[in-house]
Amino acid sequence: MQEAIPYKSHNGGGRSPLHYSLEGADNGGGRRLVTNGSETSVRKLVVENAVIVFGRRGCCMSHVVNRLLLGLGANPAVCEVDEEKEEAVLNELSIINGGGIQFPVVFTGGKLFGGLDRVMSTHITGELVPILKEAGALWL
Amino acid sequence: MDFPSTQFVSSRTMGTYEPIHQIGMWGENFKSISNPNISASVIVDVANKLENESETTSHEMLASTSKHDQEASKPFDKIQRRLAQNREAARKSRLRKKAYVQQLEISRLKLIQLEQELERSRQQGLYVGGGLDTGHLGISGAVNSGIAAFEMGYERWMEEQNKQICELRSALNAQISDIELRILVESGMSHYFELFRMKSSVAKADVFYVMSGKWKTSAERFFSWIGGFRPSELLKVLVPQIDPLTDQQILDVFNLKQSCQQAEDALSQGMEKLRETVSATLASDQMGQGIYVPQVAMAMEKLEALVRFVNQADHLRQQTLQQMSYILTTRQAARGLLALGEYIQRLQALSTLCANHPREPA
Repeated sequence: MQEAIPYKSHNGGGRSPLHYSLEGADNGGGRRLVTNGSETSVRKLVVENAVIVFGRRGCCMSHVVNRLLLGLGANPAVCEVDEEKEEAVLNELSIINGGGIQFPVVFTGGKLFGGLDRVMSTHITGELVPILKEAGALWL
Repeated sequence: MDFPSTQFVSSRTMGTYEPIHQIGMWGENFKSISNPNISASVIVDVANKLENESETTSHEMLASTSKHDQEASKPFDKIQRRLAQNREAARKSRLRKKAYVQQLEISRLKLIQLEQELERSRQQGLYVGGGLDTGHLGISGAVNSGIAAFEMGYERWMEEQNKQICELRSALNAQISDIELRILVESGMSHYFELFRMKSSVAKADVFYVMSGKWKTSAERFFSWIGGFRPSELLKVLVPQIDPLTDQQILDVFNLKQSCQQAEDALSQGMEKLRETVSATLASDQMGQGIYVPQVAMAMEKLEALVRFVNQADHLRQQTLQQMSYILTTRQAARGLLALGEYIQRLQALSTLCANHPREPA
């Protein structure tokens, strides 16, 4: 099995022909990571990053999450998941956290944080920034 | 083993035999979109797998007794490979299904447009422009009824809203107790949450209807952001009405305003990305092929994200309302709700005024 190499910039490389990719599409910022969907790869990403966002490649909702976190000064790791890996990665994440998971999903400090709903709610109540600080994703 | 004739089931649940059958199933509908060589190699792989199955099982039985350690990984590898091949075949099947569905969407589009033309030519002379966009027959019946239900619901909602505003006004003037005021505040908030639920429901039927704000008056539409008001704008309007605030409250409100602004910015940028994606998808290669092309169906898929945006925007509005109710005292919250209600009423009055204002021809 191949190990995913973190911090390597991704390249899709001719996958699903039905999946339209934009030239120079950006994910809203953040450090891009790749995963091959294996258990070790996914776990590693979750554990090694203070804050990481898993989302479908080219998804606008992931973009929203990334922009919001960036705007707060966090530098989230972003894992864009290809369509074919989607199921595998979702499975792995669900196993790690014993529950149903949907994209986009955020992990902080190695633990599940939540989806866009939770990010928005905690942001409005002011709880998000302290949580990010505690996870080491944000410094004064 | 029985092979079901029409099933869209992942091969993972059915074992190695499934991949071949699924590939055959989509063959007729498949229009050679993906690389045929890859498909062929998968079929060959699986075929080989099936042939070798019987041999390897007996091999395994012999080998396991002698070289136990080395062979322990072998069946594991075979299983892993089989699973990987199943996943691959399942993925191919899903892609083929997707292509088929897109062809269906194109046909549906043709059908709707043909119906529209038919209707138009039938009503020639009687057709009045400026009606609802959703004048389709048959296929869009569900959409029509969803919108009709919403419009009726909204009319009732507005009546109830105006009633509540009157009650708030008299309650604040009459100096009723905080407990009674709290009840009014709670029902005021619930009433707004009810509206968000209604909007979410109709957005599933026709998201453009919600985005367009057709159900609101023109002046309200002027301030529209993703199907409603911008929370930060409303805060700017309301906070001066709620004076005096304590220092802590001023700080909390300021932070809330800032959080709203950040959340709105993130959503706006997401919307911008969605526009770019849809636009690029529509225009992707092969212009000059007419309008009945896969690009249109593909763009429609992407546009489904718009429903999530509407829901997120309303979620933001709801959270902001909620947070304000935590920051403010009961009396302040009541004043805030009254101010909000009256502000919207004034916007509606403005719309009526603009609509009826006589204009001299230039």
